[in-house]
Amino acid sequence: MAGTYASLQKLLKKCREFSLLGKISLLIILLIFLAAVWAPYISLHSHKISSGPALLPPGKGHPLGTDDLGIDLWAQLCHGARISLIVGFGTAFLAALGGGLVGIIAGYAGGWVDKVIMRLIDIMIVLPDFPLMIVLAAFLGPSVLNIIIVLALFSWVFPARIVRAQILMLKEHSFIKAAETYGAGAWYLLWKHFLPAVFPLMAVNMIRQTGRAIVSEAGLSFLGLGDPTSKSWGLIINHATSFRGIYFTEFWKWWLLYPWLALTLIVLSLAFISRELERIVNPRL
Amino acid sequence: MTVENKYLLEIKNLAVTYDHVHPPVKAVDGVSLQLRKNECLGIIGESGCGKSSLALGITGLIKGDEGTVTGEIFYKGKNLVGLPESKLKAYRWREIALVFQNSLEVLNPVLKIREQVGEPLKTHYNLSPAEIDQRVVKLLEMVGLDPHWRHHYPHQLSGGMRQRVLVAMALSCDPQLLIVDEPTTALDPLSKNEILRLLQSLQKKLGFTMLLISHDLGVIKKLTSRVMTMYCGRIVEAGLTSEVLRNPMHCYTRGLLNSSPNLFKYKDLWGIAGEPANAAAPNGGCAFYARCCQNGESCSTSRPLLKYVGLERMVACHKGGIETFLRAEGIKKTYRLKNMNVEAVKEACLEIKSGEVIALVGESGSGKSTLAHILVGVLKADAGQIFFKNKKVKGRWATKMLGGMQIIFQDPFSATSDRLRVREVVREPLDIIRWGGKKEREAEVNRVLQMVQLPVDADFLNRYCQALSGGQRQRVAIARSLITRPKLLIADEVTSMLDPSTQANLLRELKGLQNRNGFAMLYITHDLHLARKVADKVYVMYQGDIVEEGVSFEIFEKPAHFYTKQLLQESFRDLI
Repeated sequence: MAGTYASLQKLLKKCREFSLLGKISLLIILLIFLAAVWAPYISLHSHKISSGPALLPPGKGHPLGTDDLGIDLWAQLCHGARISLIVGFGTAFLAALGGGLVGIIAGYAGGWVDKVIMRLIDIMIVLPDFPLMIVLAAFLGPSVLNIIIVLALFSWVFPARIVRAQILMLKEHSFIKAAETYGAGAWYLLWKHFLPAVFPLMAVNMIRQTGRAIVSEAGLSFLGLGDPTSKSWGLIINHATSFRGIYFTEFWKWWLLYPWLALTLIVLSLAFISRELERIVNPRL
Repeated sequence: MTVENKYLLEIKNLAVTYDHVHPPVKAVDGVSLQLRKNECLGIIGESGCGKSSLALGITGLIKGDEGTVTGEIFYKGKNLVGLPESKLKAYRWREIALVFQNSLEVLNPVLKIREQVGEPLKTHYNLSPAEIDQRVVKLLEMVGLDPHWRHHYPHQLSGGMRQRVLVAMALSCDPQLLIVDEPTTALDPLSKNEILRLLQSLQKKLGFTMLLISHDLGVIKKLTSRVMTMYCGRIVEAGLTSEVLRNPMHCYTRGLLNSSPNLFKYKDLWGIAGEPANAAAPNGGCAFYARCCQNGESCSTSRPLLKYVGLERMVACHKGGIETFLRAEGIKKTYRLKNMNVEAVKEACLEIKSGEVIALVGESGSGKSTLAHILVGVLKADAGQIFFKNKKVKGRWATKMLGGMQIIFQDPFSATSDRLRVREVVREPLDIIRWGGKKEREAEVNRVLQMVQLPVDADFLNRYCQALSGGQRQRVAIARSLITRPKLLIADEVTSMLDPSTQANLLRELKGLQNRNGFAMLYITHDLHLARKVADKVYVMYQGDIVEEGVSFEIFEKPAHFYTKQLLQESFRDLI
């Protein structure tokens, strides 16, 4: 555990080495995160009930305007950030942790265990994931937790593969063999040697997964498979696009643009951060 | 011939006690030996182990006011112990003669050589002075001394000459048994060799039986056919000289061998640690207990008896002689590559005893590392069995205990994790086996780091291994394997990354452990210079086969296999 903690600390220290783009990305993520946390305080109006005339353009009182029901868009975006972040990070955490563990098991155990897991991963990779996700989401019913589970179910394979490769390499090192001769069990090796070694990789992967998950969630919500009670960004877009003739009016300029902008910003920032971390963690790349 | 007459001399349970000093000293303690006609038996041991007392005891020269002799000495079937002085005299000189340890005081300073050598003749034969003189001249000629010296006094003679005089004196009455006490001490090599040759040729010519007492193993090797090791008045090992010197089975004998430079000139010298125990001390256990590197509980309470452990081989040890730590039988390993099979190890057998440094030499790719990995269980063998301390190795039990077996891997960069701090790496074995508390573990870390000459300050302990040099990492890896106080270390090219000074210090440290604690090591190397310096035994590996094995002085001086010859030739070409 101490090793994992140390790696985390090192990772934070490494953030200072980020390029300007990386730092800006980090700032954007931080702002979105803060907006999500303080959503009830920074949004002037409710995000659920109408607070003014419908389809008001951005202006006084309603900085980003209102939607067709007269609900404040800024409040919706702030609260939607919560859903997006929870889904994004939750999925990524679940996928990276699960995938990482599966990878460690496959790599360390080897033999038939490894073979079975690898074939399973192959199957997961060739399956068309988005349609299947839709089916699953529809089957499980709309809720944030279900979405996280469905998304995680389709994104654990990449961390698993990367971690497995890393473990296979690590396993050949004599310090692992030495520890085994002292009688170290799999649990000890996992905590003391494998996790600290693969943690940076997993962290990078996790951030990339976050971006993917946020987009996927938006996609599912856009298709109407999201939790209808929670106003996520995808759901806002869903509402906007289902507004008959929105492209003939001026409403899309705020109703559609701002959620899209928020989504793009967060995904781009995450992508930049993950690239940045990758560079630091693995200097040879 | 009756049973008693089979031997010229048979000693049963002889004890010599000097009881007029306080506390009484038991110089010879229950010695039994047999001597056939024309045989030459050597007795070795450190000074003060009772060798000379044994000689004096046999010749009946220990008087009643000095000490007591008990037991039985059968000479030609007749017990000499308890015979009155007058009867003993008939045996002395005529049957059993003693060549005293060479020193000025053995010879009477006021008598000329002629009178000294003639004295036994005068007492034992009824001869006229002229005849005596004639005999003296003959005797002196026989021992290669110019007869004119008989007119001089002992102090006018050199040490070598005096030794010849002593031999002449002992041979004056044609004895059947000659007891020679330290014939070559304090002699220069030239006169030493002359005396040895003289004794050899005289024995051939006159056919006497010889009991040779010496601590010079070179002398023993040259003259004797059987040898006994004596410690604290007891015989601890007996056997054929060539066998005992090649493969000692008592820790004490091995200690003596390791202290002798004339057996193998390249090897380091190591004395036996500790002081000889006081033989008179009333301890019921093995006399060598305090200095032995493999002493166990039973050793301090009961006295080991001299028992047969092989043909013509007896050892007095509760553990049956030097313990065998590791025995590997028929180890086989084949690597299956894409379209061929590589036989890395074919039917390898090896044995490592307590306190032995064994060098495993051979070119790269000869299967040395594979064999080492199999021994500690890192690799699985296709066939074969491994025993550690006579218990079959299965799983990790031999490597995960204190005082077990440990391996040091070849590549220090791979053997230590980049991500761990020095203290964590070194402490790891203790963490895994959950030994002691945090403080004790830290203390152990400091101990082993000092052993390998690394700093122990907090700054160094907290450094990541990534930030260490190759040599430092190698030493960290060595420290890690030493922290469990292993009894057997399998060291795969461990000093390859070290500078000569660190290498020398480390090897001396390991050799020190070997001598003090009976630590054994399988030292895998291509550096034959180093192997020659540290190894007791050598195994030569070639294309997966152990092609030659033996005591290091034999392998290095008389290699038999063509590959060994080639290897030695290539390695030592520039030097010799």
